[in-house]
Amino acid sequence: MKKTFLDYVLRVRLPITLFIALLSFTITYFASRAERDGIGYTPNQPVNFSHKLHAGDMKIDCQYCHTGVEKSRIAMVPPLETCMNCHKIARKDRPEIVKLTNYYNKGIAIPWKRIHKVPDFVYFNHSVHVNKGIDCTNCHGNVNQMEHIGQMNSFQMSACLDCHRNAISRFPELKNINYGPDNCFTCHR
Amino acid sequence: MSDKKLIPDNLNNPDPDYWRSFEELYNDPSFVESSKHEFMDGAVDEFDTDKLSGFSRRKFFALVGASAALAAAGCNYRDKGEIIPYVHKPEEITLGKPTYYASTCRACPHSCGILIKTREGRPIKIDGNPDHPVSKGKICNKGHADILNLYDPERLAKPMKKMNDGSFSKIDWFRSDDEIMGIFDNANGKEIAIITHTIVSPTFKTLLDDFVKKYPTSKVYSYELFNEQNRVSAWEKSYGTTNIPLIKWNEAKIILSLESDFLGTEGNIIENTRLYSENRNVDDLKNFNKLYSVEGDMSLTGMNADIRIKLRPDAQLEFVNCLWNAIHDNNNELLKSFGIKYGIPFKKLNNLLKDIRSNKGKSIIHAGRTLPENVHIAVNYLNDLIGASNLFRNDSAEYSVSSLVDQEKLNSLILSMNSGNVAAVIHLDTNPVFHFPSDYGYVDAIKKVPSVITLTSGNYNETTALSNYVLPVNHGLESWGDAKTRTGFYSLQQPVILPLLETRQKEAVLLTWISGASITYSLDLYRNYLKSNWKNNIYPSLNSKLDFEQFWNGALHDGIVLDHSVPPDQGSIKSSGINEFNNIPPVSGYVLVLKESYAVGDGRFSNNGWLNELPNPISKIVWDNYASISMKTAAELDVKTNDLIEITSGTRTLKIPINIQPGCADKTITIELGYGRNNSGTISEGVGFNANIMQSKNSGLTPWLFTDVKVQKTGGSYPLAITQEFHAFDKGLTKDAAQKRNIIKEGTVAEYKINPEFLKEGRDEVNNTSLYPPHTDLKKSVKWAMSVDLNKCLGCGECVISCYSENNIPVVGKEQVSKGRDMQWLRVDRYYSGDPEDPQVSQQLMLCQHCDHAPCENVCPVSATTHSPDGLNQMVYNRCVGTRYCSNNCPYKVRRFNYFNFRDHFNNGYQLSPIFDLVFNPEVTIRSRGVMEKCTFCIQRIMEAREDAIRDDKPLKGSDVHTACQDACITTAIHFGDMNDTDSEINKYRNHNLGYHVLENLNTRPNVTYLAKLKNTDKEDA
Repeated sequence: MKKTFLDYVLRVRLPITLFIALLSFTITYFASRAERDGIGYTPNQPVNFSHKLHAGDMKIDCQYCHTGVEKSRIAMVPPLETCMNCHKIARKDRPEIVKLTNYYNKGIAIPWKRIHKVPDFVYFNHSVHVNKGIDCTNCHGNVNQMEHIGQMNSFQMSACLDCHRNAISRFPELKNINYGPDNCFTCHR
Repeated sequence: MSDKKLIPDNLNNPDPDYWRSFEELYNDPSFVESSKHEFMDGAVDEFDTDKLSGFSRRKFFALVGASAALAAAGCNYRDKGEIIPYVHKPEEITLGKPTYYASTCRACPHSCGILIKTREGRPIKIDGNPDHPVSKGKICNKGHADILNLYDPERLAKPMKKMNDGSFSKIDWFRSDDEIMGIFDNANGKEIAIITHTIVSPTFKTLLDDFVKKYPTSKVYSYELFNEQNRVSAWEKSYGTTNIPLIKWNEAKIILSLESDFLGTEGNIIENTRLYSENRNVDDLKNFNKLYSVEGDMSLTGMNADIRIKLRPDAQLEFVNCLWNAIHDNNNELLKSFGIKYGIPFKKLNNLLKDIRSNKGKSIIHAGRTLPENVHIAVNYLNDLIGASNLFRNDSAEYSVSSLVDQEKLNSLILSMNSGNVAAVIHLDTNPVFHFPSDYGYVDAIKKVPSVITLTSGNYNETTALSNYVLPVNHGLESWGDAKTRTGFYSLQQPVILPLLETRQKEAVLLTWISGASITYSLDLYRNYLKSNWKNNIYPSLNSKLDFEQFWNGALHDGIVLDHSVPPDQGSIKSSGINEFNNIPPVSGYVLVLKESYAVGDGRFSNNGWLNELPNPISKIVWDNYASISMKTAAELDVKTNDLIEITSGTRTLKIPINIQPGCADKTITIELGYGRNNSGTISEGVGFNANIMQSKNSGLTPWLFTDVKVQKTGGSYPLAITQEFHAFDKGLTKDAAQKRNIIKEGTVAEYKINPEFLKEGRDEVNNTSLYPPHTDLKKSVKWAMSVDLNKCLGCGECVISCYSENNIPVVGKEQVSKGRDMQWLRVDRYYSGDPEDPQVSQQLMLCQHCDHAPCENVCPVSATTHSPDGLNQMVYNRCVGTRYCSNNCPYKVRRFNYFNFRDHFNNGYQLSPIFDLVFNPEVTIRSRGVMEKCTFCIQRIMEAREDAIRDDKPLKGSDVHTACQDACITTAIHFGDMNDTDSEINKYRNHNLGYHVLENLNTRPNVTYLAKLKNTDKEDA
C-alpha cells in the first residue's frame, strides 16, 4: 500500500508535535509552580527593613514586634511607634531611619508591600498554630536570615492540608499534636 | 393567587390540621400546585434566556480575555496589595479580636443596657449588657438593628439652611449656631418651644433647665406617639398617685390580658417576656402560668395565649363590667348574656372565672394602652378585688425624669404658634409633623413660626421639610449620656466611635447655644458637662467609697451604677369611683385600632432595611402595613387579602390594602403606625401607608381607638409581600399519605402531667437504614447541637435580626421577598390550627437542622456542602457553583440562594455604599451572586471558642459557644452546646420527654431538637 502524506502526518508528525506540546507543558507546569505559588516573591519595601539584622543578628523575638499573634488570628504588622521605641535614639542618622522618622513625624503609616497571603475566603488563624507550638519558620521560612523579606513556602490549600494531614510526622517534637482538622469549616466560613 | 373566590361556601368544612393561610386551608388549587414547586412562581423569571440581552457569551468571553490580557500586561500579577499598620496603636485593640463597651440603648425610652462589639474601632454588633438589672443581657429587635441606623448612608452629613427658594444649602456649624443664637436673643419675650421625646436622662433634664434659665421664654414639650397616659390617669383616679407599680409576671398564675400586647410592644417587653416565660418551664409544671387574652386583632400576646377570646376593643368596658359582676357579686348572668351577644362560648368565660376565683392573689388583669381610661379604672378595681396587689412589685418601680406633656399644653402651644407668639421651635430629634394628629393643625401652625430648627440623627424627614435649619446630630453610638428609668440604678451611655459625619451631639448643640458663643463647641463639651453633673449632683448621693475619677471610670466600664433609692408609694385604692363605669355605651359599626409596628416602632426605624424585612410575627407580611380584618368582615365587604379599602373616620380617610387575619374580631380594623413615610430616605419611602392621618385629638375613645368608622371597598388591589406561603412543607402532596408529618407537636399541661411520655407514643417509626456509611468520627469530640423550647419561643423575631447583624445577611427588598428570595437564615414559621375564625397559633423557629444524614450533602455535584466531624453541615461558598440541588433536596427549606449580588441589586446598589462596609462582621464571608448559603451555627463563634481553648490549653466545651440567636433570645428558648457531653444542658433537652425532631421519619437525624409546646388548657377548654 502506498504511503500517503496523510499517513506520514498521522504516524510521525502528529505524535512528535503532541509529545513536544505535552513535554513543554509539563516542564513549564512544574518549573513555574513556585512562581505561581508566589515563592520567591520579594518586592521592594518602602523602608528597607532587614529581618536578618533585627531577628537574626540582634535576636529580637518575633513577638516583640508581631504582638497579638498568640491571641488573635492576625499576626499584626507592628505600628510605627514600635519601631520608634528604639529608633528615637538608635541609628537616627541612617537614611532608612530618617525615612522612618519622617513617616512617624507626619503620622503617615508605612504602606508595606504584602507578601504572605492565603487565598480569598480563607480564615487562617495564627494564634491556634502558635499556641500549639508550631514555629513561625514552618510557614514563613528562615526570616532571621532574610535581608529582604520574601515568601518561602506555598500558601495554597494543598500546602495547608499537607501539614494538617501529616502533623505527627511533621512535628515529632510536639507531644500535644495529633492532626490538624481537615474539614471545610476549619478555614472556610 | 387564583381569581377563585377566596372564602368558599363550605366554611364549615376546613381541614382540621395545621394551616398557614386560607389558600392552604381550603386547598386552593394554586396552593396545591405551588407546593409541588421548589421555588415560587416567578423566582427564575429574570433568568429566562429569551429575555436576556443580546450580548452573547462569545462576545463576553472575548472581552474578558482581552481585558485580562491588558491587565496582565499592565500590572505585576504577584502584587498582593499593601499592609497598612497603625502609627499609634490604641492600647485596647488587638487586631482580630473584638473589644466590648457597655452603654445604654437609645432606640426607645426604656434605655436597656447594651454591650457594643467593636472590631478595630468600628461597632459591628449590639447585644444586651448582662449586668443590667432590668434587661439582663437582652435587647429587642430595634436595639439590635440600631447599628444599621448608625451606618445609614443617607444620614444627613452637614447642617443645612433653607434658602429663600425653599431649597436647602449647606451651612457651617459655627455660622448656623451664630444665626440661631441671634434668633433666640431677638425672641422679644416670645416663646421658644423645644419638642422632644421622653426625657430619660437626668443630666439632659438639668441641661434643659439651664437652657430655660438662659432663654427664659423657652418651654419643653415631650411627647410619644404611643404612651401610657390612659393607664397613668386611671391609676391617679383610683389610687391617687401616678406611681404605677411594676408587675411580678413571674409569680402570676393566671394572666388576663385585655387588648394588651405586653409581650410584643407595650411596656418594657424585655422584662415582661423574661418574667412571663420563667413560668413556661416544662420541668416546673406546678408554676406553669396560664395566659388568657381578650383582644380584637391577633397580637403577639394573643398568639401565645393559652386561651384567646376575640372581642372588639370597644366592648372591653362591657366585658370588664360583666367580669366585675361575676366576681364581685357572684352573678354570672351578665357574663353569660355578654358571651351570647359577642359569640363567645360561655365555657371559655366560665373557665376564666373559675381560674380567677381559685387563684386569688395569683391572678392579674392587664389592660392595654389603647383602651380608654374608664377600662383601666375598672381593671384597677377588679385587680384589687382579685388580690392582684400581691403581684405588684415593691423592690423596683418606674422612674420618670420628666413627664410627657398633656394634650391641653400641646393645644395651647399650637394656638400661640398660630397667633404668632412663638419665635422659634426646636425639634430635638423628633418628627411631630409625621406623628401629631392632623387636626392639631401642626403643619399650618409651624408655617407661622419664623424659625423652625430641627435636629435629626437620621436623614431628612417630614418635619425637616418645614424647617429653616436642619442640624444633623449624633447617633446613640456616637453619644455620651445617662439615663434613669427605674429606681435602684442609673445607666451610662458612652460613644464607641467618633462621629462618622459632621454631626454633633444634640446636647452639645444646646450647650453651645446656652454658652452664647459658637466657638464654645468641642467634642468633649457634653462629656465634660455630664461628668461635672455626675460629680456635683449624682455622685454625692451614691455614697461611693471610691474617689470620683475611679468611680466614673468604673461606672463607664459597667454601664450602670446602682443606687439605693426606694420605690415611691403606689397609693392605696380609693373606696369611691367604682360606679363610674356602669354607664356602658352601645357598641356598633366598625372600630379602628391603631397600633405600634413590631418592626419600625413609631416610624423612627422605618429607614432600617433589616427591620422592614423582618416578617410581622403574626401575618408574616414584610415591607408594609395593612388593615387586618376578620374573614367574616372581609366577606361582608366582598374583599380579599390585597384588596384596597377606604376607611373613613370623621373627615379623615385612608386607602389601604387589607389582610384577612384569622382570629380577628369582626368589624375591627387594625392598622400599624410608623409606615408611609415621606421625604425620609430610600428605604422607607413608598413603604406602607401613612395611617397616622387617621389620628384625631378628640374624636376617638383614645388616641388609638376610633368607633363609628366607615369602611368601603374601593376596587383595585395592592400586593403585599407575605413570607408564609413559600418554603412550604409539602403538605398538599403528602396529605393523603398514611403518615402524618408531625412538624408541630403539641400537648396540654394536663395531658403531660398524666403521661409524661405521651409525645413518644405517637412517634413515627424511623427506619434507620441508610445507603451511606455512618459517620464514624462524630462521637470522638464535641458534636454541636441546638434545642428550641417551643414553650418559651414567642415568635418575636429578635433572633432573626441578631442573625442579620452577625452573619452579614443582605436586605433584598419587597419585590424579591414576594418572589420567595428572602435571605434570612432563620425564620419563625407560624401555623394556624382549628377554626379559621378563631384559630390556635403555633410557632416554630426554623433554621438549618444540621442533619447527620443531610439530604443536601448527597446531591451536591461539587461537594460544596459536606459534613464536619463535629456534626455541622458545612457550606463552602467558594466551592458552590449554584446548582441549587441542595435546596431542592432540603426537606426543611432553610437554604437560601443568592439570585443576585443583593448588595448590588437592592435599590440600585444602595447597600454597596462604602459606609456599609463598616457594619459587616469581618469573621464572616460576604456572599455574592450565584452561591447557596444557610445557617452555619455561627461557625465563626465556634472557631473563636476553639481558638481560645487552644490558647488556654483547655478542652473545648459546649458551653463556651453561644450562637447569635441564642444570645438574642429574651426567653432563653434557644440552647446550644455539645451533645457528646453527657452533663450538658443540651443533652438534657435532646433526651427530654417532649423533645422531637421535625420530619424525623425521614431519617435525616437533625441536630436541632424541638421541645413540644404545652398549652395550659384543661380538657374542657380544648
